[in-house]
Amino acid sequence: MASTLRPYLTCIRNTLDAAMCLQNFPCQEVERHNKPEIELKSSPELLLNPVLICRNESEKCLIETSINSLRISLKVKQADELENILTKKFLRFLSMRAEAFQVLRRKPVQGYDISFLITNYHCEEMQKHKLIDFIVQFMEDIDKEISELKMSVNTRGRLVATEFLKQFI
Amino acid sequence: MACIERASPALNQILLKLYSAEKPVEIDHHLYEFGSAEYHILCQACEPRVAYLSISTPPLCPGNLTSNKLSSYTIEMIKRLCPGVVEIAEARREGYQLTLRLNLTKIPRGNDYVKVIKEISTVHSVILSSQLKEILWNFNSDDAIKGMHKPIKLAYNPREPFFVIRQPPRIITVFPIRFAEKSDVIISTAFFQELVDVGSSDRYAKAPPCSWSAIPPPELIGEAFEDLSTNGGFVSFDISAHHVDGKRLDKTVWNLLNFNAYVRFHVKTTKGFIQRRMRKRLENLVEVLHHTESEHDNEQITRHYGCSCTKRLSVKSSKYNILKQRWGNLGRKLKRIHFRVKIRGFGRFRQRWLRLPKFSSSRGYTKLD
Repeated sequence: MASTLRPYLTCIRNTLDAAMCLQNFPCQEVERHNKPEIELKSSPELLLNPVLICRNESEKCLIETSINSLRISLKVKQADELENILTKKFLRFLSMRAEAFQVLRRKPVQGYDISFLITNYHCEEMQKHKLIDFIVQFMEDIDKEISELKMSVNTRGRLVATEFLKQFI
Repeated sequence: MACIERASPALNQILLKLYSAEKPVEIDHHLYEFGSAEYHILCQACEPRVAYLSISTPPLCPGNLTSNKLSSYTIEMIKRLCPGVVEIAEARREGYQLTLRLNLTKIPRGNDYVKVIKEISTVHSVILSSQLKEILWNFNSDDAIKGMHKPIKLAYNPREPFFVIRQPPRIITVFPIRFAEKSDVIISTAFFQELVDVGSSDRYAKAPPCSWSAIPPPELIGEAFEDLSTNGGFVSFDISAHHVDGKRLDKTVWNLLNFNAYVRFHVKTTKGFIQRRMRKRLENLVEVLHHTESEHDNEQITRHYGCSCTKRLSVKSSKYNILKQRWGNLGRKLKRIHFRVKIRGFGRFRQRWLRLPKFSSSRGYTKLD
């Protein structure tokens, strides 16, 4: 499984590198408004083709680009029910605190676990390659954190079970 | 196990307060505790060193109508609790099963008094343990139907009954597990799998073998549907003669009575642990992003300011928000100060002076070389 991780992340990095060419574009529908076109999807000429990168059936990444914004949606692997609830809890926890991350979306796109929304303003404020590094690092950290959480929960359960059974001896 | 103690903490505290009071204290308290236990403590000024403790507890076996009165074995066990200090009153208080007369003068001075009072506070656990012991000992052969002994339903906590099935030479206890939330069910299931795994190891061969199943075990065939409908499965312990031998009987009985509470406590603490860990991880992830931003700021950049009062900030960090909030609080406090001397124009000056200037990225830009 580890052998497919590197090519998966490299593919995502290269796609983001190509897709993150954003520029300021005022809204065509409403005067003096400036909205991320990827969220509105009102003008098809401003949208690029979405790219779906799948590592396997349970892990995928959807990159949707428009002229002034980019949306990245991630589906994280969940091997069993415990990983499922831990992933849901953790990603919901992060999404609720999206203002701390600036580029994180409060609600993930349907069918995915977490979503990022990057606008031209973010690209002006931050360096593009650093932003891409952050996204890729975030993906690795999430996987690592879910695995560690699962292991910690099982270790705690084992310790508690040991203490309970010790009382009978 | 710190979370589920035999001694009632509220009763312990009240008795300690009574004992260490310098002046005569009048007390008339009603207490309600986990397991539907009810206490009444009465101490009158005319008899300052004597307290009357009344206890009422629902029967452990709900189907047994005669169990409202305490059995002679239970009374005997209660009498063994601090014999000099505790006496069973002849007339019990109305609405209670038992009234004890506590002679506080007979409690030894020195550090032992804490131990004695704690022992008195375990009266509820003594009643329950003795009731369960009697149920396990007084096996009625009429209960055997076609070689299968009828399960006895016990309810320490009314919403969490469990079953005891006597199959000589062992006793099987079955705990139906129910949780309100799905995440609790999953955490508890992971715990039960670890419990079964640890129990089957060589190191804990002397502990009662335990098993978990999602469906009701065959021993519970014929029981009521509401008792068998669960979302957390069934946990079974096989208690053999070794586990109820001598001093171990007390421990085994108390552990079985509190198994449900133990599991719930573990699930609650695990959820707290997950929350703490997520918070810590969030700080680490945000720190990475801010570290990325600070690397950008460290580069040599020529700044062009669109307006003298605005300055471009690349990151609206949480530190900025905290600083803004503190400034706002200070400003509000200063505004509330009532100045006796009125100076013309000072109000407007104070308003401008106390306002934090806004920094907007749309007005300024940064020229990169």
